[in-house]
Amino acid sequence: MARIAGVNIPTNKRVPISLRYIYGIGPKNAQDICDKLSIPGERRVNQLTDEEILRIRELIDREYRVEGDLRREVAMNIKRLMDMACYRGLRHRRGLPVRGQRTHTNARTRKGKAVAIAGKKKVTK
Amino acid sequence: MPRSVWKGPFVDGYLLNKAEAARSSGRNEVIKIWSRRSTILPQFVGLVFGVYNGKKFIPVQVSENMVGHKFGEFSPTRTFTSHAADKKAKRG
Repeated sequence: MARIAGVNIPTNKRVPISLRYIYGIGPKNAQDICDKLSIPGERRVNQLTDEEILRIRELIDREYRVEGDLRREVAMNIKRLMDMACYRGLRHRRGLPVRGQRTHTNARTRKGKAVAIAGKKKVTK
Repeated sequence: MPRSVWKGPFVDGYLLNKAEAARSSGRNEVIKIWSRRSTILPQFVGLVFGVYNGKKFIPVQVSENMVGHKFGEFSPTRTFTSHAADKKAKRG
């Protein structure tokens, strides 16, 4: 078990894979971290020395914005748009797609599960 | 793709004159504009613009964090309708 960046406990997977369990570290950042500390990608987390884990922890603390801080930043950005009452902010408020996608059909990720329209008759064959 | 930096922000030229005139006159009146495509510049902060949405002039009080957005973003052109109210009306 290794605790890196607060609460994350990546498992016995390879280092670049398990680093991605941290919110804010994807494939690119995970690979960059390994390259900077010259940790080979085949190494597994349980094969790391305590010193290496410490170095990873320090590097992430120093150069990356992860977990709570990143979540807060994203939420602040959205809040800024909503307070400004600009078009993108209004779309966030309504829970509709923000970047100009169609809403006639689809857009279910933003709109949530489809709700049946009351009183609409079903087509019978 | 974003606009090239060397071009600078896009603003219809007459807006600068209008804003300048409003500032020097000192009165806090709505500046009517049709140019929804223009970028909001730092010198517009504090002024009130009436941005045309095809029907009405929507008053927009320009604040500091609006700088860099376009005027049109603050003046919606479509009316939002939903079905939420219909349900109760039909059942009742």
